[in-house]
Amino acid sequence: MERMAAFELRRPESLAHAIELMATVPGARVLAGGTDLVPNLRHGLEAPATLVDLSGVPGFAGLDLTPAGARIGAGVTLATLAADRLVQAALPAVAQAAASIAGPGHRSVATVGGNLCLDTRCVWYNQSEWWRRSNGYCLKRGGDVCHVAPQGGRCHAAFCGDLAPALIACGAQAELAGPEGSRTIAVEDLYRDDGRAHLALGSGEIVVAVVVPPQPARARSAYRKARVRAAIDFPLAGVAVRVTGDRERIERLDVALTGTNSRPFRLAETEAFAGRAVDDALVAELGKAVQRQAGPMRTSVTSSNWRRQVAATYAQRLVRELAATP
Amino acid sequence: MKTAVPAKSVGVRQPLVDGVEKVTGAARYTADLAPRGALFGAILRSPLPHARIRGIDVARARAMPGVRAVVTGEDCALPYGVIPIAQNEFPLARGKVRYRGEPVAAVAADDAATAQAALDAIELDLDPLPAYFDAASARAEGATLLHDDKRGNLERTVEQDFGDVDAGFAAAALVRERSFHYAEVHHAMMEPNATLAQWDAERGRLTLHSVTQVPYYLHLALARCLGLDASAIRVIKPCVGGGFGHRTETLNFEIVAAMLARAAGGTVRLELSREETFITHRGRPETDVRLKIGLAGNGEITAVEAEVVQRGGAYAGYGLVTILYAGALIHALYRVPASRYRGFRVYANTPPNGAMRGHGTVDVRHAFEALLDEMAVELGLDPFAVRRANLLTAPHRTINDLQVNSYGLAACLDAVEERSGWKTRKGRLARGRGLGMACSHYVSGSAKPVYWTGEPHAVIHLKLDFDCGVTVLTGASDIGQGSTTLIQQAVAEVLKLPMSRFSVVANDSTVTPKDNGSYSSRVSFMVGNAAIRAAEDLKRMLVAAAARRLEVTPDDIEWEGETCRVAGTDRELAYPEVVAEALKDAGTLNARGAWSTPPETQGGSFRGAAVGTSAGFSYAALVVEVEVDEDTGEVRVIDVWVAHDCGRAINPLSVEGQVQGSVWMGMGQALGEETEYGGGGLPLRANFLDYRFPTIAESPPIDVTIVEAPDPNGPFGAKEAGEGSLSAFLPALTSAIADAIGLRLFELPATPDRVYDAIVARRRAERVRRAVKAASQEAD
Amino acid sequence: MNKRLLSLTVNGRRREEAVADATLLLDFLRETLGLTGTKRGCDGGECGACTVLVDGAPRLSCLTLAARCEGTKVETIESLAEGGRMSALQAAFHEKLGAQCGFCTPGMVMAAEALLRTDPSPGEDAIRAALAGNLCRCTGYVKIIEAVDSAARGAR
Repeated sequence: MERMAAFELRRPESLAHAIELMATVPGARVLAGGTDLVPNLRHGLEAPATLVDLSGVPGFAGLDLTPAGARIGAGVTLATLAADRLVQAALPAVAQAAASIAGPGHRSVATVGGNLCLDTRCVWYNQSEWWRRSNGYCLKRGGDVCHVAPQGGRCHAAFCGDLAPALIACGAQAELAGPEGSRTIAVEDLYRDDGRAHLALGSGEIVVAVVVPPQPARARSAYRKARVRAAIDFPLAGVAVRVTGDRERIERLDVALTGTNSRPFRLAETEAFAGRAVDDALVAELGKAVQRQAGPMRTSVTSSNWRRQVAATYAQRLVRELAATP
Repeated sequence: MKTAVPAKSVGVRQPLVDGVEKVTGAARYTADLAPRGALFGAILRSPLPHARIRGIDVARARAMPGVRAVVTGEDCALPYGVIPIAQNEFPLARGKVRYRGEPVAAVAADDAATAQAALDAIELDLDPLPAYFDAASARAEGATLLHDDKRGNLERTVEQDFGDVDAGFAAAALVRERSFHYAEVHHAMMEPNATLAQWDAERGRLTLHSVTQVPYYLHLALARCLGLDASAIRVIKPCVGGGFGHRTETLNFEIVAAMLARAAGGTVRLELSREETFITHRGRPETDVRLKIGLAGNGEITAVEAEVVQRGGAYAGYGLVTILYAGALIHALYRVPASRYRGFRVYANTPPNGAMRGHGTVDVRHAFEALLDEMAVELGLDPFAVRRANLLTAPHRTINDLQVNSYGLAACLDAVEERSGWKTRKGRLARGRGLGMACSHYVSGSAKPVYWTGEPHAVIHLKLDFDCGVTVLTGASDIGQGSTTLIQQAVAEVLKLPMSRFSVVANDSTVTPKDNGSYSSRVSFMVGNAAIRAAEDLKRMLVAAAARRLEVTPDDIEWEGETCRVAGTDRELAYPEVVAEALKDAGTLNARGAWSTPPETQGGSFRGAAVGTSAGFSYAALVVEVEVDEDTGEVRVIDVWVAHDCGRAINPLSVEGQVQGSVWMGMGQALGEETEYGGGGLPLRANFLDYRFPTIAESPPIDVTIVEAPDPNGPFGAKEAGEGSLSAFLPALTSAIADAIGLRLFELPATPDRVYDAIVARRRAERVRRAVKAASQEAD
Repeated sequence: MNKRLLSLTVNGRRREEAVADATLLLDFLRETLGLTGTKRGCDGGECGACTVLVDGAPRLSCLTLAARCEGTKVETIESLAEGGRMSALQAAFHEKLGAQCGFCTPGMVMAAEALLRTDPSPGEDAIRAALAGNLCRCTGYVKIIEAVDSAARGAR
């Protein structure tokens, strides 16, 4: 039998009710697919008094692709997203990212919103209660030291969701709803560079949907994740790239990363690549930019140096491959 | 009368006799057995890696409603351990704790939440001591001792010299020496640890179901630690979800469950988490190997010198056997005319190590084969040729007194050379692709048992009754390897009766004969032989009955299973008629068979000579094809070809499955598996996300060729199939990587970050070399 | 502890049971219904041994709250045999030695069952993808792939 702390499960049947519960029930926590939250509850990483289950909210799992863009409900499962032929054609990076996550038993229930709001991960954090207590807990929960960088004073736990970089590279926006009303922000702005509080959501605010604008005519995208095994594992580094243009001249380059920092992020200063050919010089500069901006710390059992290197290599390869694709 | 064809059971691709239950969900494992109302057990574990126990206050826990028992080290003062001369572990720590996660107290409560709350209410007063997480610091001058009687934290030092090693190196055309490092690995069997303990307070009797590979050891340890007469204990092994050596030793939680049941006067289910199962450990130790080989110009081995250091964890466990195995099985694969071995088994503040598939041999075999491969290249020899230059001829007695009576390695080499297309493909693959090969071997059961009682190694009982069905009674533990099926096949083959006439009852100490259990690949060989003898015993009774009925002598009876006849006539009896005759006067028939290893296979007389001995050695050769990404260090295994000499494939389907499973487990160790302790001895990878054994997604096809070099001592000529091919994978992989990108790895596993670092280090070294060269040319 | 009346269909049988909100489907199946074929192999979502079907889709029962299965159709390994006879998929696992110790087998078979219902003729890549979340420590997966492939071919 599992020793999971008791909680009350609420199953609101409207978005308004969900938001109201989040606003009024102390310690309420959103439950989407549960594939991230439930293991964390089982490890005692969180002990919310109330879970607000969003699976009964109407329209939450809607997936609409039109020439005007895509609207992906936060409740769309990763399995649905990965298998959707329109998504595969229009947003290959997103479909690839979805298909790469965990295993089929997770993807059939894990959601887009859940993957965007995945908790950050760290070898000093994703452990049992006994383990963490024996280690004096950590800055992310219960303690005052980050064991990754004890001098630092911030939590370095890494964000390991696969969808976020793909959506960022494709220019997606997140629709949020909360007690203060609704708003739409760029997906990259959903995050803060703080492993302990990496989501920039307001109190009681919920991710309702992701909106992806129509992709530029000559844009191609892809996602690749580094890991030791070919399935199950979280990304040790994950890279999404969108190339607009071709090998001779790219109009625009969008690169986003996950697994290396406390937030997924859009690679900065890619404007410098616009108007250039995809040649050795560009690829080398891109590699340097990734190495500079990706900041993996010792949050996993795999070396941070390798995670940084492989992120750069994957970015370089994706740019070459996408630029060469007619 | 219709004449039935005698049934053939050996050599048949026989699905497991308990397979239907496994695929339908009907098979019951320990955690499936808990009756309603059973109490929930839970263990409090040490938060420190090394500390003196000043006190454990359980008063608050004991007073909690719903708590039925609390036990501590005070409740068991006798140490246990698998090796009678090295018992130094308590089910619950006494005096000191020696690794993080060591059990210190346990509770039984009405429900899991109460049990957890009770653990939280126990107060530990611990006085920290210096702790060591690697062999070097544990051995360092002035290090605090884990065990007061073991100076230098050395559990066992082995010094073994055979032949003239110095002369061998002097005579060699090429001598090379290398150092290797291997991470600790764990069995990671799919079923987490669990025990169900039932105490009959009225009669003072204990019934225990557990995940054990050796119910006999468990039975002895329970009697010892609980101070019970052995006859007051009943041990039952239900279905077990794998073991790979983890469950050979009696494990602390099994005794703790029994202590709780007795203290609570009832039934306790103790089910460990995956993390706790990892902490119980007993896997292959972190190992350093320094190896030196001398080769003649034609590739013949002239001498071998090895130094092996194993970080053995906090308690003795199997340690002295492991460090002896590491030296002993340098031999019996190739002709080795001289050897010097130094082994050091070191205590450290990590979970105790133990036996794991390929016990003691795997890391040393990697070192040996890898260095041989490197030296072959230097001598201009093909890797196959250097092996062929060192083949044995059976019968052969090694210089350390191992008796090789059958030897199919030459045929294994031929098979994988051909199947892999080695001759046409080796050296012709694109950069980044590579082929590598290696050989390995293993024992078919240790020729000397741990408890040297004078009893036979294996005993089988058969019961034949009015229904004409034969019940096979065995203590051999099927933990998924298919031993129950094999035993039934062996008995059926001798009696020439169809498999449907038989059923097997296994592993209930009140019913089945004692068995030494499932370890060192002993069951097929030893219990198989006992099964043959039991069947022959029964057959003698039946033939005698048939002769009586047909009024001839037993010599006149031709036994054909479902029928028997008087030779040269058409006078026949059907099997049921024979059984009816046999049961007259006697009633239910009982037959038995026993088997022991021949004395000449039991090794020499030097200290430690028993370890590594076997009545039959299996052999394997293996080729791996890999693809290596030089930019990222990622290694992908594309294909594996393996040939395994199992003497005789009693069940070819099972042999393939065992060989594939063990090769694949070798792949896991080679590519990604490692335990790791950080933050002062905390297990960093005690879960299936960080202990990365391969998924189906990246697991390659494994092409198996069965080679049959029958062993004169083996049942129907058979030898083991479940361990011998594992260790060949690791060196074949590193040789394939060397073939692909010219890089030799001296540390495993070959995770992408390690391979990447090695590639970078090589590039740096090449740059330095070029710079030095350029500078010296300039100077000229 | 908050409990609710849960009503759902398990292996074709209507069930109504009181469950706590924090009860996992795995524990509900094993402890409340006595369906012990579904196995617990890890501490949450890492091994696939507890895979069952919920409304036909593979789900990890160790990550699923029983209370969220209201009105669903849950299928476990015990549901596949009909009249005591193995399904074609189970028979293939048995005959091809797709099961050794058998502990991963229920989850493996249910994941394969989900695959074959949506893709009756999967190639090897599809088989690998469908079983990628199910760990096995005995077989090296070779005979598991053979078993699923053989079941699919047999059904064609």
